[in-house]
Amino acid sequence: MIEFIAHYLAPIMFTIVMGMLLIGYPIAFTLATGGLVFFFIGVELSIFAPEEIRLSYPLIQALPNRTFDIMRNDTLLAIPFFTFMGLILERSRIAEDLLDTIGQLFGPMRGGLGLAVIVVGALLGATTGVVAASVIAMGLISLPIMLRYGYDRTVATGTIAASGTLAQIVPPSLVLIVMADQLGRSVGDMYTAALLPALMIIALYASYIMLLAVFSPKSVPALPPETRTLGGGVTSLVVLLALAIGIHYGAYNFLFADWTYEWRFVASASTATAFALAVSLSNRALKLGVISRLTEQVVIVLIPPLALIFLVLGTIFLGIATPTEGGAMGAAGAIILAIMKNRLSLSLLKQALDSTTKLTSFVMFILIGARVFGLTFYGINGHIWIEELLTALPGGEYGFLTVVTIIVFILGCFLDFFEIAFIVVPLLVAPAETLGIDLVFLGIILGINLQTSFLTPPFGFALFYIRSIAPQEAWDDEVTGERIEGVRTGEIYRGVLPYIGIQVLAIAIVIIFPGLVMHYKGDVQNFNLDDVQINLPSLGGQNSDGSAIGLPGQPGGLGIPAQPGGLGLPGQPGGLGLPGGLNLNNTAPAVPGATAPAPQPSGLGLPGPLNLNNTPPVIQ
Amino acid sequence: MTILLRMSSWIDAVNAFIGKSVSWLILFAVMISAGNAVIRKVYDTSSNAWLEMQWYLYGAVFMLAAAYTLQRNEHVRIDVAVSGLSKRTRDWIDLFGHIFLLMPFVILMIWLCWPYAMNSWRSGEVSVNAGGLVLWPAKILLLAGFILLFAQGVSEIIKRWAIIKGIIEDDITTQHALPPIIEELESAADLETRMKHK
Repeated sequence: MIEFIAHYLAPIMFTIVMGMLLIGYPIAFTLATGGLVFFFIGVELSIFAPEEIRLSYPLIQALPNRTFDIMRNDTLLAIPFFTFMGLILERSRIAEDLLDTIGQLFGPMRGGLGLAVIVVGALLGATTGVVAASVIAMGLISLPIMLRYGYDRTVATGTIAASGTLAQIVPPSLVLIVMADQLGRSVGDMYTAALLPALMIIALYASYIMLLAVFSPKSVPALPPETRTLGGGVTSLVVLLALAIGIHYGAYNFLFADWTYEWRFVASASTATAFALAVSLSNRALKLGVISRLTEQVVIVLIPPLALIFLVLGTIFLGIATPTEGGAMGAAGAIILAIMKNRLSLSLLKQALDSTTKLTSFVMFILIGARVFGLTFYGINGHIWIEELLTALPGGEYGFLTVVTIIVFILGCFLDFFEIAFIVVPLLVAPAETLGIDLVFLGIILGINLQTSFLTPPFGFALFYIRSIAPQEAWDDEVTGERIEGVRTGEIYRGVLPYIGIQVLAIAIVIIFPGLVMHYKGDVQNFNLDDVQINLPSLGGQNSDGSAIGLPGQPGGLGIPAQPGGLGLPGQPGGLGLPGGLNLNNTAPAVPGATAPAPQPSGLGLPGPLNLNNTPPVIQ
Repeated sequence: MTILLRMSSWIDAVNAFIGKSVSWLILFAVMISAGNAVIRKVYDTSSNAWLEMQWYLYGAVFMLAAAYTLQRNEHVRIDVAVSGLSKRTRDWIDLFGHIFLLMPFVILMIWLCWPYAMNSWRSGEVSVNAGGLVLWPAKILLLAGFILLFAQGVSEIIKRWAIIKGIIEDDITTQHALPPIIEELESAADLETRMKHK
């Protein structure tokens, strides 16, 4: 009996600790103590199954250092930055302004308001990564209008909830950062790889609304023209847009022709935007009447989000800032924006900081708990058990991806994405590598999965958010004076179903056409061939695919000299994102750097962030 | 019991003060991190000390605020299975959890972090990066975080016991009707007024 337990300790541990989580005590501590209990059981049973269990008491002394490594992780520092940015932005009412104007622009069209919500959701998603802020802002503004003019209430709530979750897949998103950290890939790669899939999902959402507009016009009615308080005048907007695109094209090909690709693109796009803004502002100030009020307003409200997108994504892609610094830039930008709009008060600032602190603290403690769990789980060969389980699946790569999608989808109904990312994702790295699946590719598929988990009833967070702001009881509309029924929870659930279907479709498309993601590698060969040759010598000739070194998505070499403990940190600029070589490099030094005299579980070389590279100087 | 409760409210006050104070460090971290990027671009120079400062501040925030987060009941739980149970049962689960899930981990971490931090302090450990910061205060932060968490655990056990015995009222509802962040948003934003306005 004891031998049986000893041999199958990994599955037993996994089942019991997951079961313990269900008693509803904070996950961080349950995981940690669960891991510790099995650590002691494992050590005691190790004589019965020396093959499987490679634990010994001195090994536990690795815990402080493992916790310390979490502390000095630069990548996860982006979590508080983006959260804080989202909270401040929510209060600066940028979403309200956007929806108001873009809603007026599209409103008189069938399905227009739905499209406006999707567009604004995408824009908000590209500025920050906080779903709650997007859903709340959009729900407050758009939901009453949609219900007032007879939108199908399932369509209205579903669209708002789903568009809010775009924040999780459109870079810069917290999901992608955490995923990069856990998979040991660079955040820049993740962002570049996520661009096309994110655009595809936005397009699929929009197509769904357009299909409804054609086949079920009653569910997405056009708004009456009088709701356009800014007046008509779409022609001048089209003209202005055409001019701006022309300027962008001209500047790109002639004015900045000899600059590097990224700078060229950003410089010409900025020029075009500056032109449109200049026209609009002078039109307003001098009352020129060249363009309509609608056009003027559309251009002016688009500026703050575009500026923020530039501050965050632009600086990251240009290599000016690391993803973490990009988050800080965005947070600083959000504060400046809120001050300019006179929306920042001391109490708001305190509240935002307080919320950010608590969120950061619980997230980081889940990670600490997961690491304690991991110490035991890897020490009893749990990762090998999982790897054998997942690589034995029929269908090889596709079988693996399908099963992982289904597992994460089911877990996503009950768990927050942080838990899935910290507990489940590290276990997927080894099997994925065995099957030859690119980790960034895996990360994007998991990212879309986790985005979906925000939508799945009954525990999708986006549903909570929309529930909290959708009126539950009937009310008299102040414009039409009609009685409008409250929104039932069942309606919200039904509303997100089509979007969950779209998400599943998106995952299938990405699996079938990996090129959507893998272009993150391909771009490199086109743009940075010279860099590759320059960098090659330092690589010791061990990588066959040196092409990834100068990825445009990575902040070049700028940050290298400055990163603490640079080598093991994922998401750091520099040569880290090398395909193939990375995990090997991480694992290999793990063994000599170990504390325990006992044989070291190779599991200590946890994917990516573990950094046993940091261990040697510290533990005696 | 009165003495214990007084001790508990004293611990709560200290941890709340620490938690709220360290939250300002996030603002510093934002400024330092954004500043690092700008300075590196504009002056083509960077300093390891300033780069390390980022994670130093971050580490201080989440380690020192963990106790405060526990006090505010914001460490996430999976309450799918237990949300239907009575308040009393959930109180017992909490008490059980504090004693058997929180405390063993925290005590072990204090026991392990003590020599870890002390050795670092005695040797005056400095970052291996050129011009980096001293490392031992960071390791002491680690220890301090777990000590604060231990104190908060004691306070939570006292409070939960008193609640079960009917001595005090539960001022924070154990069950979050909504995920924490939205409750924060609701209280931060004047959501009520904004909803009525529409």
